Amino acid sequence: MEVGFVLPSASRESREVDVVIIGAGPAGLSAGIYAIRAGLSAIIVDKGNAGGLAEEAPFVENYLGFEGIKGEELAKLFKEHAMKYVEISERNEVRDIVREGDRFLVKAEKGEYRAKAIIFATGTTHRKLNVPGENELFGKGVSYCVTCDGYFFRGKKVAVIGGGNSGAIAAIYLKDIGVEPVVIEYMPKYMCEKAYVDIINEKGIEYITNAMVTEIKGSDKVEAVVYKDRDTGETKEIKVDGVFIYVGLIPMSDLAKKIGVETDKRGYIKVSPKMRTNVPMVYAAGDVTGVAGQIIIAAGQGAMAALTAYEDLMLRQA
Amino acid sequence: MGYIGDKDKEYLKGEFDKYLKEKVLLLVFTGPNCQYCNVATAIAQEVAELHDAIEFHEYPVDSEEAKKYGVEHAPTVVITDGDKFGGRIRYVGLPSGYEFSSMIEDIIDVSRRTAEVSEEVRAQLEQIDKPVRIQVFVTPTCPYCPRAVRTAHRFAILNENITGEMIEAIEFPEWANKWNVMSVPHIVINEDVQFIGAYPDEQYIQYVIEAWKKAQ
Repeated sequence: MEVGFVLPSASRESREVDVVIIGAGPAGLSAGIYAIRAGLSAIIVDKGNAGGLAEEAPFVENYLGFEGIKGEELAKLFKEHAMKYVEISERNEVRDIVREGDRFLVKAEKGEYRAKAIIFATGTTHRKLNVPGENELFGKGVSYCVTCDGYFFRGKKVAVIGGGNSGAIAAIYLKDIGVEPVVIEYMPKYMCEKAYVDIINEKGIEYITNAMVTEIKGSDKVEAVVYKDRDTGETKEIKVDGVFIYVGLIPMSDLAKKIGVETDKRGYIKVSPKMRTNVPMVYAAGDVTGVAGQIIIAAGQGAMAALTAYEDLMLRQA
Repeated sequence: MGYIGDKDKEYLKGEFDKYLKEKVLLLVFTGPNCQYCNVATAIAQEVAELHDAIEFHEYPVDSEEAKKYGVEHAPTVVITDGDKFGGRIRYVGLPSGYEFSSMIEDIIDVSRRTAEVSEEVRAQLEQIDKPVRIQVFVTPTCPYCPRAVRTAHRFAILNENITGEMIEAIEFPEWANKWNVMSVPHIVINEDVQFIGAYPDEQYIQYVIEAWKKAQ
């Protein structure tokens, strides 16, 4: 086992700032660095750890400057870099946001922050598959996080549902730690980057295409996954001990919606190219905007959001 | 060479200088045939060296001290004031990876002799008048787990009847198997009420209350 250290960062005091950044993933952390460097006061608040969903990525091979790095390590570097500039309050969930004149009062678990601007970098969470057995067997073999739970299946066979990049990386990670994965993809072709297709083939990971998962079976724990072969219409069953679900993401935009921020019909926050939302002094960046689900793009959007907030705050003061 | 890097040490020292108040005991219980005991001891020692308020001790798991603190497994790390916190805030297995940050936050809270919860949750905690043991099974690579561990520990800091125990599921597979742990964080309260996931305090406390009521 590797001994890593993730440092805590725990702001405890309520305060007034120029901008509250909600979410400490790549977008929020980057926004924090840019905001402080521009001369704004800021705090980043996150309900969990800094790092966001990037933490769950077993490895990242397309972030500029890193040929290959564990998501966890990249997230730690981001966080340590950001901590040099900006206060990050972790395990501090924002419960409510209310308007007070031209300020926003951001009410979080550990404190209240009064701000002139808000950047939503709230990201996404895992989408459910919505098939029988998924809820019933959650925690009994059904999981959404390979880095969390992969170890429990060493020496066993599991299905990874969803063959996009996240699913492909999950399968590769599982194979590397001694689990036997089979990927089940709905579409009739590989849905991940070619770089992952190559690794999947090289490692001999089974990747089933054109398959619609219809049920996860098991009494006390997962025993099999059932799918319909979309070519033939035939129903097939694979015996597995676990199922990891990677069928996409849903945006966490409820708080934003509450203060009138517009989203598209899937719930992603609508932003201008400069990351403004429809509500003045409210910005969004990263996966919650639904642009690409890529760390490098989230970081770029975070930077843009902070720069725009700076521009707007300065203009308003002028 | 130490386990904790110089840069990390510098940061931690800054945090400790800012937040530590009263003395904190960082106790490591070790035993034979224990793969990670040396590492646990070394890490705790390195952390303790960063600030005068932190006092490190190592005890055998079969010692009187282990009995006093209710420790049965090695390695166990206990964070305490040596008095009313007893052995109620503890880590069974190595607090590494994401759990390292939980341990640091615990040290700060134990030193402050308090922890943050909302008024609503504080009121609910106050009614718990019988022993409640919250066990949180984790893996060190689970980013959601520290939240569940810290909630158990914050509750334990605020109520003398509550014990918050992290258990590293990979180091203690039989223990994890007993509760069919296949997703973490997996929380077991009073070896009875169970749930999976890192819930907000308001939901978490409901499970604690349920377990406490069942114990009446």
